[in-house]
This record gives sequence, structure tokens and C-alpha cells, in this order.
Amino acid sequence: MSSGHEHNGEAGGHHGHYGPRVLPASLAAPEILSAWRMRALIVFVVATILSAFFAFSHEGKNHILRAYLLGYMICFSFAGGGLAMLMLQYVSGGKWGLLLRRPLEAMTRTIWLVGLMFVPIIFLWKHLYQWAAFPTASAVAQALSNHAVTLEQAMTLNAKRAMLNPGAAIFQTFLIFAIIGLFAFLLNKWSLQRDADPERGTEPSFDRWRVKFENLSGIGILIYVILLTDGAIVWIKSLDITWYSSIWGLQFLVGQGYAVLALGILTVILLSRFEPMKTMLRATEQHDLGKLAFAFVMLNIYLCFAEFLIIWSGNVPDEIPWYLNRIHGGWWYVCSLDFICHWLIPFCLLLSRDLKRNKQKMIWLTCFMIFARCLDMFWLIEPNFADAAGNLHIAGNIGILAYITVPVAVISLWAAYYMTQLQARPLLNVNDPHVEEMLEPEHAH
Amino acid sequence: MPAREGTYGLLAEFNTPSELVHATEQARHAGYRRMECYTPYPVEEAAEALHFHKTRVPMVCLIGGLMGVTTAFLMETWINVWAYPLNIAGRPLFSWPAFIIPAYEWTILFAGFSAALGMIALNGLPQLYHPVFNAPNFRNGATTDKFFLCIEAVDPKFSLAETRTFLEQFPAVSVVEVDH
Repeated sequence: MSSGHEHNGEAGGHHGHYGPRVLPASLAAPEILSAWRMRALIVFVVATILSAFFAFSHEGKNHILRAYLLGYMICFSFAGGGLAMLMLQYVSGGKWGLLLRRPLEAMTRTIWLVGLMFVPIIFLWKHLYQWAAFPTASAVAQALSNHAVTLEQAMTLNAKRAMLNPGAAIFQTFLIFAIIGLFAFLLNKWSLQRDADPERGTEPSFDRWRVKFENLSGIGILIYVILLTDGAIVWIKSLDITWYSSIWGLQFLVGQGYAVLALGILTVILLSRFEPMKTMLRATEQHDLGKLAFAFVMLNIYLCFAEFLIIWSGNVPDEIPWYLNRIHGGWWYVCSLDFICHWLIPFCLLLSRDLKRNKQKMIWLTCFMIFARCLDMFWLIEPNFADAAGNLHIAGNIGILAYITVPVAVISLWAAYYMTQLQARPLLNVNDPHVEEMLEPEHAH
Repeated sequence: MPAREGTYGLLAEFNTPSELVHATEQARHAGYRRMECYTPYPVEEAAEALHFHKTRVPMVCLIGGLMGVTTAFLMETWINVWAYPLNIAGRPLFSWPAFIIPAYEWTILFAGFSAALGMIALNGLPQLYHPVFNAPNFRNGATTDKFFLCIEAVDPKFSLAETRTFLEQFPAVSVVEVDH
């Protein structure tokens, strides 16, 4: 509780500490980011070298590719989800949004890198997706006669070909990145123009920019949800061509909110060791962000469990194998761990008010939440493949450990670029009426 | 249980919240603990000056929630397995996935009730009598435009003469003795 009234001690007069604090002279990101980026790059190099060893193991190359898809999807969560959260804070307003704005903008500016990360997948995707391995009706028929696919898979491949074929997948991926990139570009450009506005600090300037951002963000959120649903289907859900679920897009959306909030909170807390974030981050806003993260933790399990419950109730042979592959044959442990790490632990911990206001504990928890996202993605991706479905094994399958090293490499490379982008701008958007409110002293409630 | 007769405490009346907060901070500094601020609207600095941070409402709420989830889950298990077993699409009688949603709803219901009722109970409500209303200026001012600090007689440091002198050093409008 001491953090709440630290400012009491340093005040000279009795009433002095009730006045507003002063905005730091420099709002530039601290120099330490360069050192952190160097650390991220070292982790990237070490993890890449370790990953390379797995290429020589049995099925190692396939596992590296699948693990790479996992890393890519987490990075996309940060870049795309960051855009969604950025638009959400523009339409909802609030001091938490101002606090996270620049970190979220930095996440969105990594979108081209994430788009670039998808390129290797295009060249190797015949090892991932059946629709890429058997792109034509004759190839499917051939595969069926060779028993490379089941009859159900063959029929679904033919039925879904309009959407799921290499050309269409490239087109959809391109469209997703082009539109997200456009929104990210506009929001980032306007944000700088907003600060440079000659009328900044006045009521008309506040209103004009607020309305401008709101108008783009409102429609942007709708478009993003559609794009993300499409992306989640093409990139992840189509790994199992036969499976259907209508809640899938929303589930990814909430998962992204979960990851982005964890990363956003982690960023502002780590930066709060230095100016200017030291002044800007109050326990009040950290508490608010913790509550928002708690809501996402809850919504996430709600959607995941709703999907499971509906499929369990329906008990239809088309749908249940997807879960059986993820529960039987050793996967029960991963499934339970996923539930414990992804929901139970963050839920129980975030119930505590003191923990939400504690910087050190929130650093640990947010890192753990990002790890939990990776674990969940592992549970979603790996059982899609015939050698792993309903059969989790490490003996003779050492390549599966690539799921540890490859995502670490991909995510740390992304993180290094994210930190470069964080350094590119002042950490606070000053032409915003909330700035003044954030400088008010807070009260220990 | 403090004696229900004699002096309840000394009530100082202030015109502004800043004066109240300042007096409260000084009183705490001087070693007084059993005291309370009364204001017409929430003054967060006053709560801070009293070092009033923690309440037991979250704990009551948590216990309520846990009672809700346990009650609902056990009830559903009892009904489905022993009291009224039904074969539903050949599923086991103990089909826990189906029990989760009602258990979840009960968690929320119980947690909500215990938070609201627990808050009321921990506030000591409903309370039909409180000694500070014996002070006429409190009755007129506490809900409109006056700010009060009451140092209670149960405080070990309380002494009618010394505490009165202590409170009178502040620009208080009045310092009155309140009886039980």
C-alpha cells in the first residue's frame, strides 16, 4: 500500500502534496530501451541457434515450421491486437488509454514485419496445410487413393476450395495486412499531427482530434474483427480442414486482447522505472489496466468453455474429434495446464486488489500471461497433425521441443523491433485533456 | 463494548475540507487513532489521512462466491447422480461440463449478494442511533456544508481537557463535547 502515498513524504507544506505534479521535461523514451533491445537480440540469436539443432532430429523440420507458425501468430496478436486495442481506447476514452497509447502505436507499427514473417510460411505451407499440399481436385483424388487423406478430409477439401487454396490464401493474407497497415498508418500519422497541432491544448483542438480518431476507430474495429476472423480461419483453423466453429474469430480476438494488455502493462511498468513513465504511471491507472486484463481473462475462458460445451452437448461426429485429439493420448496434461495457466492462475491472482497495484508482481504475472497464450496456441496447433493428434510424445520425437525455442526466437526478434518503434516517439500523446488529469495526485482508495 | 453513557467524544467542526484533512493528519501524528471524519460528500484525502485503506468487503465477497460455486455444483451433482438420475443422450450421470454454467451463475449471485450485504453489515448498518447526532451543529451541517472530525473517548490518548486544547489549535468553528 505504500506506493499509493509515496508523494506524501516528499511534500514540504501540509497542503503542498495535494497540488498537481509536473510533466517531465523530456517525454522521450528512456535510453535503457537500447540495452533491452540488445538483450532481446541476444536471446533471438541463442534461440535460433538452439532451434537449428532440432532440424536434424526426426520430424524436426516440421516441428520448427509449426512452432514458427505459433511464434508468428503471437506476434500477429501483438501487432493486430495492438491496433484493435488502440482503436478501442480511442472510442472508449479514459486515462488508461492515454497511458497505453504510445506502446500500442509502437505495436501497430510492427505490422509490416509481421507481414514479412508470413512469407516463409507461404513457401513451406504444403507441410502445414492440406489445402496447400493438395490444391486441386485431382491432387485430392490422388491423395485419397494413396490414403494420404481420409474421405471426409477429401470431401471437405473440395468443398472449401473456394476459400482455402494457395492463391486465395495469399490474397486473403495480403488483404488483411494491407487493410490493417492502412489503419495503423493513419492512426500513427494523425497521432503525431495531433501533438503538432498549432491550437494544441485548447478545447476545439481536443474535440476535433477526438472526433476524428473516433470516426476512424469505430469502423476500424468492425473491419478488424472481420479480417481477424478470416485470418484465424486461414492460418490456424484450416490446419484441421474438417473442423467448424463459429466462435473461433471472437476467441482469437479476446485472446489478442489478453496478450496485448499483458504486454502493454508489462511495457508501462518496466518503463516506469525511468522518466517520463515514472511520473505518468499512477497506481490508479495500473489498477484499471489490471481490472481490464481480468475482464479479458474471464471473457477468454468464457468463450473457450462455451465452444467446448456446445460441441460436447451436440456430440456430433464432425466436431468432437477436434477435442478428442486434444484430450486423449497425453494431451490431457497440456489441456489441463492450459486451463490452469491461461485462466485459473491469472484469474485467482488478478482477484487481488493489492496485486493489481503492485508493480513487481504484475511484471511476473503479465510475463506468465504471455507464456500462457503461447501454451494455448501450442494446444491449438500441434494436435492438428497426424503424428501428434491424440498422441503427445517426446520419446523419438525430440523435435517437438522446437516449440520452446522457435517461438522464443520469433517473439524476441519482434520484441527488438517493438522497442525500436517505442523509441521512435515521445511516450506520451500530450494534446489530450487526460494529460492534466493524469498529473493530479492520486488517492489511496 | 464501550460504555453507553458519558462522553462519546469531541467533535470539531470545520468550514473547508482542507482544514479537516490537515487537522486529521495532525491528530494522527499526535497519536490519536480512534477518530472519524464526517463530510457531506466523499473526501478521499480524509480517508487517506485516517489511513483507512482496507476493508473486509473483498474477503466477504470471495467467501460468498466460493459458497455459491460449491453449493451449486454439489446440488447439481446430488440431483443428477442420486436424487433424480436421468439418462440424457447416454451421457454419464456426473456430466460436469453441464454443471459449470449454473455453478458460475450462482458464484456471481452469491458474490454479488455478499458484497452488497457485507458492505452494509461492515458499515454497521442499519443503525438507528449514533451519538454524534446529539450535537446540534452536526445535525444541521454534516449533510450540507460542514466538515467534522470526531476524536472518540475510547481512544487511549483521549483526555477531555488535552484533546480539547489540541483541537482548538486548528481554525475549527467549534469544538463540542458529544454525549452518548
